[in-house]
Amino acid sequence: MSTQAKWVGQALERAEDRTLLTTGGHFIDDLTLPGVAHAAYVRSPHARAKIRHIDASRALDHPGVYAVVTGEAVAQFTRPQRGRVPLPNSPRVYAVAYEQVRYVGEPVVGIAAVDRATAEDAAELVQVEYEPLPPVLDPEEALKPDAPLVFEEIGSNVLWHDTFPYGDVEAAFANADLVVNERVTIHRYSSTPLETFGVMARYEPATHSFTIWGHTQQPAQDLHVLAAAFGVSPGQIRLIIPPMGGSFGNKVRPLFIIAAALLARKAGRPVKWIEDRRESLLALGHAADGIMDMSAAVKADGRVLAIKFRNIENEGAGIDFAGRHNLLMLSNIANCYRLGAISYEGYSVVTNRCPVVANRGIGKPFMCFAVERMIDAVARTLNLDRAEIRYRNFIQPEAFPYDTPSGQTYDSGNYPEMLRKALALVDYDSLRREQAKGREEGRLLGIGIATAVEPGGSNLAYGMLISGPSQLLSGQGEAARVRLETDGTATVFTGGLDSGQGHATALAQIVADELGLNVKQVRVPTTFDSASHPYVMTSGVYSNKFHGHDTVAAIGAARKVREKLLQRAAAQLEANVADLELNDGRIFIRGAPQKGITIAQVASRAYWSLADEQPDGEPGLEALYYYSNPLANRPDDKKRVRVQLGFASAAHVAVVEVDPETFEIKILRYVVIHDCGRQINPGIVEGQVHGATAHGIAAALFEEFTYDENGQLLTTSFMDYLKPTAADLPDIEGDRLETPSPLTLLGTKGVGEGGAVVAPAAIASAVEDALLPLGIHIAALPITPSRLFEAVSSGMKLYEKRK
Amino acid sequence: MTEMISITLRVNGSERTAAVEPRRSLVDFLRHDLGLVGTHVGCEHGVCGACTVMLDGRTVRSCLLFAAQADGSEVTTIEGIGTDEALHPLQVAFQQHHALQCGFCTPGMILAALELLRDNADPSDEEIRVGLSGNLCMCTGYVNIVRAVRAAARDGNVR
Ligand code: FES
Ligand code: FES
Repeated sequence: MSTQAKWVGQALERAEDRTLLTTGGHFIDDLTLPGVAHAAYVRSPHARAKIRHIDASRALDHPGVYAVVTGEAVAQFTRPQRGRVPLPNSPRVYAVAYEQVRYVGEPVVGIAAVDRATAEDAAELVQVEYEPLPPVLDPEEALKPDAPLVFEEIGSNVLWHDTFPYGDVEAAFANADLVVNERVTIHRYSSTPLETFGVMARYEPATHSFTIWGHTQQPAQDLHVLAAAFGVSPGQIRLIIPPMGGSFGNKVRPLFIIAAALLARKAGRPVKWIEDRRESLLALGHAADGIMDMSAAVKADGRVLAIKFRNIENEGAGIDFAGRHNLLMLSNIANCYRLGAISYEGYSVVTNRCPVVANRGIGKPFMCFAVERMIDAVARTLNLDRAEIRYRNFIQPEAFPYDTPSGQTYDSGNYPEMLRKALALVDYDSLRREQAKGREEGRLLGIGIATAVEPGGSNLAYGMLISGPSQLLSGQGEAARVRLETDGTATVFTGGLDSGQGHATALAQIVADELGLNVKQVRVPTTFDSASHPYVMTSGVYSNKFHGHDTVAAIGAARKVREKLLQRAAAQLEANVADLELNDGRIFIRGAPQKGITIAQVASRAYWSLADEQPDGEPGLEALYYYSNPLANRPDDKKRVRVQLGFASAAHVAVVEVDPETFEIKILRYVVIHDCGRQINPGIVEGQVHGATAHGIAAALFEEFTYDENGQLLTTSFMDYLKPTAADLPDIEGDRLETPSPLTLLGTKGVGEGGAVVAPAAIASAVEDALLPLGIHIAALPITPSRLFEAVSSGMKLYEKRK
Repeated sequence: MTEMISITLRVNGSERTAAVEPRRSLVDFLRHDLGLVGTHVGCEHGVCGACTVMLDGRTVRSCLLFAAQADGSEVTTIEGIGTDEALHPLQVAFQQHHALQCGFCTPGMILAALELLRDNADPSDEEIRVGLSGNLCMCTGYVNIVRAVRAAARDGNVR
């Protein structure tokens, strides 16, 4: 019996929305426990300093204070953190600074008190004696032999460095008509979820176990990080993750959970900590800043034969994401283009800045920016149109599935058609005419183009490129359990989480189709609980993995349940399974719809009537399914590995006008044609495209974490760290192209991160195009009027990284 | 111990009396003392608008007010706008147009949109964007929020 797509494909309203619209939902700060204490932290005012002495006695004596935790206690009661990808030479990192501070805002002392205000009062009573040391902030400075060391114990600021020669790069350069060199940088920014990080922890001494309500995007991995830190079994930790008010890769900070759990243990009562905005901007985590040097071997007709990359990634003072930005870039290093050979050299460098996290797209926005800037540079050098250069280099539609030099398998796509659609929507030719005419009148109109792959679903075996084949963690998959309730409705549990993507709705659509139910009869709890939800080590919400993993796990479990259901119905109807049909909550004999039985009748017998003969061998109607993606491989001897497993794509076209006097940048139109294969819920997909694109535009034009020369973060409120409002952002127009993936069960490809990957490149392309009469090249972000003004008035031809 | 201030106010139509610390913010009072957790906290410094509520019919940022300042006032929070059985037309429009993702900004956004439409029943897209520019949404890029508010205005049922 085949599944009919009745619900999949519909832009249904989301099941999540009514609660969020009426009572505001159930976020971490809406939960409480009897006797709960509240935490606050003393944070480092220095970017780098030795901790000479801590006197917390007055804080401990303060009325209402239950516990104080310093680095000494943390080092005594917990084991140091290992990176998510274990480093061969790992420094020791604890939840609270131990002996030394390494960035401004690093937690130094944790306090639990009767309420937050009291905890903050007590924090002010703590005396910390520091011996300030000169910090190192710039990753190139950090590479110098005499640079101050962020982690002295590893003897260098380089956490990881490697080279990846893919194909015969030297032959390509020998064969080139010209070589184009570019150096571009990316700055620090973050998508700043509106809800900050939160955790509530309870410790039960008798069983030495913890119950944690809190934030993470990788529940299974973080549960194991906690277990390792406390030296307990994973079974002694129950991790409950309520819906998150946005996360975007940021809420992956198990150290924050460890600190709260330790406070709870010391205080002898539950402890809750809700990060405030200043703490969040200072210390939750930033996207890594980086410096990319590129060299392209180009033929006279614009074909790019090969590109050499050298990337220096600034990890800040953390190890949790070491090397990850670098390695994930191997997934989109060829972007949409037929590059015959590629070489990549990556450095992962620590400095005295905030540790980095996996902000939306992790690494890929920078790689897309770099490749697209290079493609534009080649067009500029050869005086070719920016659309034309792309048509000449695109991987052609008949070439799929297509293997790239770094070992990615692009599943499907039609890049020329995607770009054609986008250009048609903006009416490219007449825009170019308008631009030419405008230039004569002194108008600075620019048309930017970026075309890109949007990888989905990471294969965690890429970590073996750092930690070697002995690393246990590999692959990508998800776990799901489907239960038919006695009333004939279904409940779906997965290891996925909710941070706003509408996954509960999408899973309900999928499972409703599998079980012949109405979508309203399928519920998907949005709070994950490790005590009830199945998981595999790759579980969670990250890397655009939902489309090809959570979906398949749910289908797998639903099909097992359907099989059992049909066997039971066949017995009750005295028919053959092969003759049965499932629709609208009923099972009936094909061709004789009156001869049937409701799912509720079968389900209810399955649980109540245990004395029945059990045709499927056991009572109940519940099934568990663990899925692992067969595409996930291990690195081969040429360091090729499918870093990511599905490849959506998009063409972004931005039309901007720059004011020739104030350099104000106005986006006149913004068009996105995206292809994520088959869509489960086009309404949700469209929202993801808008939101991600907005993040990318914001990163390109507004947002930047800036530090002074002492390592003080200057952007610690939304007054200084500029988030765009509705008045700052354009309408996002667009359409979809659907080239279903032949490699996923539903033909789906990932969608959540894509816009954030592509938009920075499109905006840079547009502004550079507008400024062509002034001859300015854009090699850095964000592009702000004041910095453009500086560049132009000082006669610079390059808009580059500000020191 | 700090001296407590006694306040009386109407919240979503019911009278509430409480003793509060002078430094208790209105949003903490609503959330933690009254249990009205639909009003959210995103920045506590007056920029994000997540804490938007109506005070005597006008939107305010409840993180920037002390509870004591609301003494004698009428406060409306998201819980007083519509219920699951009887959604407010703006809530219906937000759901229909996928104008929320994580939903954290949504209560504040709905209250801001309500004030906008009460002041201007037929706003242009530009006016909607400016009217909502005191509220940050990190998820939607605002596109569908603008669509939802426009649709609610067209339907003309917003009061
Ligand atoms: S929490 Fe009040 S404006 Fe942000
Ligand atoms: S929906 Fe998440 S902040 Fe607006």
